[in-house]
Amino acid sequence: MHELLLFASVPIHQHAELLQQLAGLTAMQPRHCYERRLIFKAYRKPGVANARVGASQDLQSGDLQRVNKMLNGGMFYTQVVGPIQSTDFADPSVTATANANPDPNPNASPLDPDTDTKMDGMDSDSNIPRSAYDFDQQSWQLEFRDIPEAGTRSAVTSRVMATAALPRGDIVPSMNAWGYSFVTEYLVEGDMFIHNDIVINLHRVLHYPTIPGEETQPRHQIPALQQMAPLEKSGSYVLQASMTVHDGSNQETMKTASQHLFGLREQLKSAVRLEMADRLSLDTRVK
Amino acid sequence: MPITGVYFIPAHPNASTALGNITERLRSSFPDEDLIQLGRWTLEQKLMRDTPGLLPASSGPNQRPSKPRYMQFLSLSHYHNHGFIYTSEPAEQPFNIPNASSPSPAATPVAPGSANDSTTTSNTSSMLMTTVPHSSYTTLFQHFTYACQPFWCHRLTVVVQNGVFYDIGDFRVRLGDVRQTYPTNRVRGTVVEIEWRGPSVIDSLDGAVVSDVNGETDSGVDVSLSVLEESDVDAEFAATALLIREFWGRVGVEGAREANLVPGIGSEVKERLVKIKGARNNRGGLSGSAEDNPDPQAGADVARQYMEVLRFNR
Repeated sequence: MHELLLFASVPIHQHAELLQQLAGLTAMQPRHCYERRLIFKAYRKPGVANARVGASQDLQSGDLQRVNKMLNGGMFYTQVVGPIQSTDFADPSVTATANANPDPNPNASPLDPDTDTKMDGMDSDSNIPRSAYDFDQQSWQLEFRDIPEAGTRSAVTSRVMATAALPRGDIVPSMNAWGYSFVTEYLVEGDMFIHNDIVINLHRVLHYPTIPGEETQPRHQIPALQQMAPLEKSGSYVLQASMTVHDGSNQETMKTASQHLFGLREQLKSAVRLEMADRLSLDTRVK
Repeated sequence: MPITGVYFIPAHPNASTALGNITERLRSSFPDEDLIQLGRWTLEQKLMRDTPGLLPASSGPNQRPSKPRYMQFLSLSHYHNHGFIYTSEPAEQPFNIPNASSPSPAATPVAPGSANDSTTTSNTSSMLMTTVPHSSYTTLFQHFTYACQPFWCHRLTVVVQNGVFYDIGDFRVRLGDVRQTYPTNRVRGTVVEIEWRGPSVIDSLDGAVVSDVNGETDSGVDVSLSVLEESDVDAEFAATALLIREFWGRVGVEGAREANLVPGIGSEVKERLVKIKGARNNRGGLSGSAEDNPDPQAGADVARQYMEVLRFNR
């Protein structure tokens, strides 16, 4: 499958206005979503790539060449994405560590009093804020994105993509066995719209507060939303318009898809400038 | 999850398979049973190997006889909701990259004691079973062939296209010819799955989970489970394996490769047992299972057995 994309940067002061404009354009209310994004990196045994074969006397040289070509093929970073609810964030009001934001956000803390009392009891052994979040029930999907295609005439970013649902819970053992090691994770917060066949995302990347020793595996608890810091310090958002094309080799559909994206670009021209992304900024290859 | 045993009778590439012979033996060994074909079933297995392991042994400068690693994709028509992926455990811990940004390269943990949903590690098994929704099955396979060439290489595809099954007494028998479709077409042999359908402790576990998810708290089953231990599960599997072997002995076909008590068998059942017991102490642990797939791990045991007998070298 292929994905066609256009991007725009949206400064924080324009965010609320653009949300309204998009709601008007798409005739739908924004769908607010949070996504955990785990980054995995393909790995292989060290040294194997250097086991270059010289003039082998073996017969199946064609086979050998093929294997050698495969060994030197590309390896990629890939993401494992899990949607979470606003209720999955820890409640800052029940922890001692969350003093930065004392006002309890009603959206982020709809825990019932029953849970609250239990949490209070747990404060004695840990300061980490907890929520009803159940890591073992977290759903995941693998999202592979290739580096955008080079040398396309068209003014849209186009890349090979694959999305596959994975089992719930701790996905790391499977990913390790499949050849991927966990690197790090971040969170994406934003709103989604659907406009005909285009998915519009207005989102930004949030970083977790760093707790030493937590970086080597996905978190089993989500900290309070107030503790998350945007990657882009100014708090600006990225507008992403994307379209999925099932058969990327079909020039006609690819062309139609780009034209739909250009249509959206025209409609939003007065608000934002949608353009294709720098190819190397979306490079997912492992080097 | 029913208890099964799988047998594979290899055949020469151009010879006929043992299928007719087995059907005949079934008929003659169980004269009291009507051998009525109840339906058809299919199987597909794609076998991948680690690409570095395909280099001839002489070519490597460091003579490391590395253990081959496999990734097997299996889909069975009798568990059509999901596919099975059975992967060799990583030979060594995945090392983190010597990037400046990457933290503490030593410790990438593998399942730190937290047995969980659909991935299963077992102390006895060197293979890791993952069940994925059926829609992901093909996508993941394509992903590995596209993006993971340096470490995974598609070697074989074998299929059972026109399998048949019969009920004989307390057993269900599935029969089918195994045909290789990639890289070349050839006959591989005949596979026989024998499923015990008589009474079993394991079945009561299935019932317990269902009632738990539905929110019906105290059923009679629940109480009886409190005395059930992992050793009981093992004993149940061993006892049923004997029944299946006895059944196969009566059929009396020689030269079969058997997969019965394969490593890691029953680990989903034990996990479930632990979960049910845990759920009693801590209600609400099994919430949020409102999925279209009622049991995402069903059939993991029989999948293990199939993959054990169908892991051909070439």
